Amino acid sequence: MNHAPVLPDGTFHQGGKLLHNLLLFGRMCRALGMAATPNRMIEVANALGHIDLGQRLDVYHTMRSLIVSRQRDLELFDRAFDLFWSRPVDDWVQLDMPPPVENEPRRMKFLLPPGASPLDENSDGVASPGDSHLTAVLPTWSTQEQLRYKDFSEMSQEELALAKRILEKLPQSLDFRRTRRLRPGRGALIDLRRAMRQNLRHAGEYFTLPTRAPGVKPRPLVLICDISGSMERYTRIFLHFMHTFATGMQQVESFVFSVHLTRVTRQIRHKSIDRALSDVGSSVNDWGGGTRTGEALRDFNYRWSRRVLGRGAMVLIITDGWDRGDPVLLRQEMERLQLSCHRLIWLNPLLDLPRYEPLTRGARAMLPYADDFLPLRNLDNLETVVTALQKLARRN
Amino acid sequence: MFDSVNSVQQTLQQQDYIAERGLATAIYLALRLGRPLFLEGEAGVGKTEIARVLSGALGSDLIRLQCYEGLDASNALYEWNYAAQMLHLRLLEASGASRQEMQAGIFSREFLQTRPLLRAVENSVDGLRPVLLIDEIDRADEEFEAFLLELLSDFQVTIPELGTIRAETPPVVVVTSNRTREVHDALKRRCLYYWIDYPSFEKELHIVRTKAPDVEPLLARQVTAFIQEMRELELFKSPGVAETLDWTAALVALDQRALSLQTVAETLGVILKYQDDIDMLSGDSLQALHERAIVQAQTNAALVS
Repeated sequence: MNHAPVLPDGTFHQGGKLLHNLLLFGRMCRALGMAATPNRMIEVANALGHIDLGQRLDVYHTMRSLIVSRQRDLELFDRAFDLFWSRPVDDWVQLDMPPPVENEPRRMKFLLPPGASPLDENSDGVASPGDSHLTAVLPTWSTQEQLRYKDFSEMSQEELALAKRILEKLPQSLDFRRTRRLRPGRGALIDLRRAMRQNLRHAGEYFTLPTRAPGVKPRPLVLICDISGSMERYTRIFLHFMHTFATGMQQVESFVFSVHLTRVTRQIRHKSIDRALSDVGSSVNDWGGGTRTGEALRDFNYRWSRRVLGRGAMVLIITDGWDRGDPVLLRQEMERLQLSCHRLIWLNPLLDLPRYEPLTRGARAMLPYADDFLPLRNLDNLETVVTALQKLARRN
Repeated sequence: MFDSVNSVQQTLQQQDYIAERGLATAIYLALRLGRPLFLEGEAGVGKTEIARVLSGALGSDLIRLQCYEGLDASNALYEWNYAAQMLHLRLLEASGASRQEMQAGIFSREFLQTRPLLRAVENSVDGLRPVLLIDEIDRADEEFEAFLLELLSDFQVTIPELGTIRAETPPVVVVTSNRTREVHDALKRRCLYYWIDYPSFEKELHIVRTKAPDVEPLLARQVTAFIQEMRELELFKSPGVAETLDWTAALVALDQRALSLQTVAETLGVILKYQDDIDMLSGDSLQALHERAIVQAQTNAALVS
C-alpha cells in the first residue's frame, strides 16, 4: 500500500538546485491541500541535511513524514512525489515559480475523488503550464457532473438573504452531553486544590469547601444527507441547511450519499456558501443517482463510525426512504447505526403526499430504528425544518 | 547507536521490532531533530510497542501517559498531596509556626506528586532522554490537546509555588492515535507523522517468527497467510498484528503444528471480536478462506525459504 516511488539515480544531486526544487515541490504540495508551509519546507531542508541524499527512499520518507500529517494525503503525496522528482533533470530550470494564484477553484480540481474521468485540458483556461502535468495525472471530475450542481449556485441574492435569516434561527445544538472534565461549580466532588488555597488564611481550618462539577458541551452531530434522484428538489435546501450547521457548530461531520457515501465535512465548512456548495459538488460524483441507503450506511458504519461517532454523537439522517437497495442490509445497518450513536434522528421530506405513510420498503426497514422521526410536509420552505429542529432541541 | 537510518533499523531489530524503512527514517529524524513522533494506524499494528522498544534501545525510562476524556493537569502534570499537606499544617500549627513558615513548608518538593509529563521533563537531565509515550491522544479532549501543545513546544513546566522546571534535552516523545477523532492539525504539525500500515506477508511472518520463536515454521506461514487473506475481506474490524501474535500463541498452547479448519473455527474468537464478523465467517466462507490460506502459505514457502 505504501509503495515507495522509483526515482532515477542522482535525482537529488542537481548541482545546487535542490533547494529551489524543494520549494517548488512544497508549493505543489500546498496546492494539493497539504500543510507545506514555507516554515515546514525549511524544516524539510534541515532534515535532509541529516540523511544521505543518495538514498532515494530515505529522502522520500523524510519529506513525507514532515509534509504529510493526514493519512488520506499519503496517496496524493506519493503521486506528487513520483511526478515531481522523477522528471528529467534538464526540465527543472524551465519551471519558473509562478506567483501564488488566488483563483481557488484550481485547487479543488486536484482534490477530486479517484475514478472520475480526467478533465478536458482544453476547457481549462486557468491552469498555468506547471499545472498541466498535474491535471493530466491526477483524477478530476467529469464536466458532466459539473453541470449537475450548477443550479445550487444559482440562488438569487434575495433568496440567499431569506434563507440566511431563517437558518439563523436554527438551534445552537440539538442536545448537550455532560463532559468528563470537571470545572469549578456546584457538585459533589470537593476541589481540594482550591480548598487548600482558600483556607490557608485560616491556618488549616476549613470554612469553605469548593466543589467541582462536570460541564456540558454540545453533542457532536453527524449529518447524512440523501442526494439521490428522488431527493433532487430538496438537495439545495438541505445542503444549505448542512452548511449552516457545519459552520455554526463545533464538531459537525457531514456526509452525502446516493449510490456511494461521500464525506463532505471539510468542503461544506467553507464560509462562503457558494464556495462550499461548489466544493461539495465537485467532490461528489453520483448526484441524483439511485438510492442505496443500505450500502451507504454500511460504508458509514464500517469506515467512519469509529472515527466520528465518539462522545455520544447524534446522527441526523435526511432521506425520503425511497430505496432501491437490499432492505435486509438496510435494516441491519440501521440497527448498527442506532446502537452506536446517542440518538438517531430521521428527517423525512414527505414528497408532497397529503397523507404520507412510510410504506416504501426502505422506509419500513428504517422506521423501527429511528429514535426521532421528523416527517415534514412542504419542504420547499426551509422554515418548517428549522421549527421542527427547534422543537426537538427544546425537548432534549 | 542511532546515527543513521540503517542503525535505527538494526537496533529496533535487536529489540525484536521489525520496522520498515519509512518508520525507521521517521524515528531517526525524531531523535535527530528532537521532535515528537506522531503514529497513527489501525489498532494492533504496534504503535505503543515502538515507545517500549525505543526506551529499551536507549536504555532510558519509559514514561507513559494514557489519555482519556477529562484528563487534566492534575493527572498529567503534577498535583499537591493535600492529605499530607493538611497533616503537616496541623503539626506546624501545634509547634506555633508563623504564617510564612506554613506557606513555605507545605508547598515544598516533599508534597509535590509528579505525574508523567512533569516526570518526563524532570528526568531529561544529565544527557538522559526518557521516552514519553502519550498513548491514544484521540481519547483525550481538545482542552488537553491544547495544553499538550504548549508543553511539546518548549518542554518546560512552571509550578507557581516552586518555579520553572526545564528539560535540558527534550525527551523522546511518541504520540499515538487510533483515529476515533481527528486530532487537531496544530498538534500534528509539530510532530513527524507516520502511518503504520498492516505489514506485508513477509514482514508479518518475520514478526511472528521473531516474537514466537518456538512456533512450527509451517504453522507460522499458515497463520500469517490466513490473517493476510482475512484482511482482504470486508470485516468490521480487521485483525491487527497483535491478534496474529495472540492467535499464534493460542495455537502453540493447543499443541497445533498446522492450521486445521476445526481449530480455526474453535479459536476464531481470538482474532475476531465482533459477532457480525464471526457470523460472516461461518461454514463455507470460512472453509474457502482456510483453503486459500493453505495454498498461499505453500506458494509463499518457496519465497521465504
